[in-house]
Amino acid sequence: MKKIVLLLTVLLLTVSVGMVFAGGQQEAATESGDSSSTLEASLALEDEVLNLKAADGQALIKLSGTGRDVPPRPDDPSALPEEDPLHWWDMEYAGEISNKTNIPESPADGAIGKNVIMIVHGDHPWTTACTTGAQKVADVYDMNLKVQSPNWDLAVQNQMIDQAINERPDMILLIPLDAKTAPQQARKINRAGIPLILFNTLPDAAAMDYAITWTGPDDFGQFRKLARLWADELGKEGGVAYVQHAPGGSPYFARCWGPISELAEYAPDIKVLDKQAPGFEADKTMQLVSDWLTRFGDELVGICAADDSAQALGIFEALKKAGREDVVVIAAGNSKVGMDLVKEGKLFAITYQTAEGDGALAVKTAADWFNGEEIEPVRNLPQHMITAADVEEFYPPQW
Amino acid sequence: MMLSIKKKKSSMLVFVDKNRIFLLFGLVFLFMALFAPRFFNVFNLTTIMRTMSMNATVAIGFTVILIIGQLDLSIGTMVTFTAILGLGLKEYIGFGGSVPAAIIAGGLIGLINGLLVAKAKINSFIVTLGMMIILQGSIYTFTGGNSVSLSSPDAFAVSDWMAKMVVPLLTPRVIITLLLVVGGSLFLRRTRTGRNFYMVGGNVQTAWLAGINTDRYTIAAFVLSGVMSGIGGILFAMESAAATLNMGDSSLMYVISATIIGGTAMSGGKGGVFKTFMAVLMLDVLYNGIILFGLGNEVKIFIAGIILASVVLYEAYVAYRHEKIIGQRPELLKELDGKELKSPELG
Repeated sequence: MKKIVLLLTVLLLTVSVGMVFAGGQQEAATESGDSSSTLEASLALEDEVLNLKAADGQALIKLSGTGRDVPPRPDDPSALPEEDPLHWWDMEYAGEISNKTNIPESPADGAIGKNVIMIVHGDHPWTTACTTGAQKVADVYDMNLKVQSPNWDLAVQNQMIDQAINERPDMILLIPLDAKTAPQQARKINRAGIPLILFNTLPDAAAMDYAITWTGPDDFGQFRKLARLWADELGKEGGVAYVQHAPGGSPYFARCWGPISELAEYAPDIKVLDKQAPGFEADKTMQLVSDWLTRFGDELVGICAADDSAQALGIFEALKKAGREDVVVIAAGNSKVGMDLVKEGKLFAITYQTAEGDGALAVKTAADWFNGEEIEPVRNLPQHMITAADVEEFYPPQW
Repeated sequence: MMLSIKKKKSSMLVFVDKNRIFLLFGLVFLFMALFAPRFFNVFNLTTIMRTMSMNATVAIGFTVILIIGQLDLSIGTMVTFTAILGLGLKEYIGFGGSVPAAIIAGGLIGLINGLLVAKAKINSFIVTLGMMIILQGSIYTFTGGNSVSLSSPDAFAVSDWMAKMVVPLLTPRVIITLLLVVGGSLFLRRTRTGRNFYMVGGNVQTAWLAGINTDRYTIAAFVLSGVMSGIGGILFAMESAAATLNMGDSSLMYVISATIIGGTAMSGGKGGVFKTFMAVLMLDVLYNGIILFGLGNEVKIFIAGIILASVVLYEAYVAYRHEKIIGQRPELLKELDGKELKSPELG
């Protein structure tokens, strides 16, 4: 009994001491305008930001130019067949139509010295490049950019969002781990009165109501273009298979159903033989493709991969073992491995998806918002297909 | 005098050993409260409570599994499976039907695990590993790779209610977790049935000879683990308003670590739900603080690994010491310690 009392006393004392001393540790939230930022000084940095370069020598900040053509939304896209491009309308054009709710008004006092928290999805060389690009822009504006990674764990990402809200930053930039959980996450941040920009991974359309904007690659658009290039190379006929991204996120759909629905109209004689998600391990992908080659034989003439590194390596290992290097392979880029494979003539084409540019665009958009500019509902990165003809222009690779 | 000091020292060491998780929690909490920016406020502490909720619930069942000397590797996928099932069925039978259905599903999966271990005498590692893989495949087959979410406005209404602070630090989900922890702890410590789990884990032959139906207790432990995983999963999914395909993946290693750090022995027969709960809380305070310090995920993994390794090494040392002195007669040792042996009276 005495020992229990002693234990409880120690615990209580610990908590009390913590309360007394921790009181002084709490930092007040930085008020907009506390720092020496002025709007004019911030606007004057525009040229410097636009002249920044990524590791591959390409311009860090690039937009897609004029807005994309957005077809009218069908009444019920989910009722359409999956091969119909409009079935994917809500995902592909998420954000184009939204009911913005409780979006904070820009203080229009410039971006200099702002506190921004960036919560990404997980540890990966791509993410490292993304945060590098973000930091380059943040450095120009002297922003205090804090990057957090939940390492693909939803519970940890939710916790990071809660902790970020507790810190009261000037802006939160978020890559939602899952499209379906994004609305709740975005709403939580929105209700806390903190401006939010979603980027890279497309969230469920409902999330867009609570965010200023979404920035990132037009995955569907890129893959539709890539699919046409691929179909032309295949002579618009033959059997193809798809190595998919991790289930749940927008790339899973965009990099498979994007080309499938595009080719259903553009090259209807191309037949979809199979689609599988083996993960991002070369050996599992190799096993999958070997199985395909056994099952489909000469009928298989093309493979589309969601990843140009580990998946692509597995694909080519399987093709080499089977002596089927005639199969035309395309993939989402653009890693060093992928570009090397394009250079060697193995990969036919990959999409250009600037990791540094993705992070940089999110931060630049935040800066534009702080400057009081009007932000469009969606900001896309430029679209480009890298082939053997121009792959050298993208060295050294970003990741 | 020497004996008295030695006795006090030994008594203090025993106290520290028995209550190490509480002391460890106190140390970590104090450190974070003193040095981690923005740690000690109601919002952040509530975040910690909400974050620990799912794993603490799952850990209740896992603790019982370890107490009886078994292993359940399927807890993570059970969390995901029951969450997806619960949200998926909501559209058809409402929460009143889908939540119990999800929990019952967890119990049924646990029942299958328990029957295979107890009756078919298959090693629990193999059974639950197989179940984990089967559930993973089932999840992907039935969802087609899509996460499951609640449609608005249901989604936000449910999520808001689950996250609403009833009293400072406590949301409905946290309250449910605390009730389960207290209930589980009292059940194991204060009821004959609960104490029988320790007997089964301590020495299954002795328990059988004492008239305990050991198979029944083994099955019950797995059912309990399944039920707790189900409760943890569906409550988390309701607060997130969605169930993702890998939401329970990290729970397995986390719960194993917390249960062992809390003092539950993998060999069975020892441990407790409340200490496991304190270990979960300690780990979440630690992780929360690491994020507040702006440190990366790798630091979190490293520190968690250090703590787990330290605890395991300590347990190994204790077991080694126990083996060394086993069979020794402590009363004889006390007599020898500073006193002469009393000569037996010869008559």
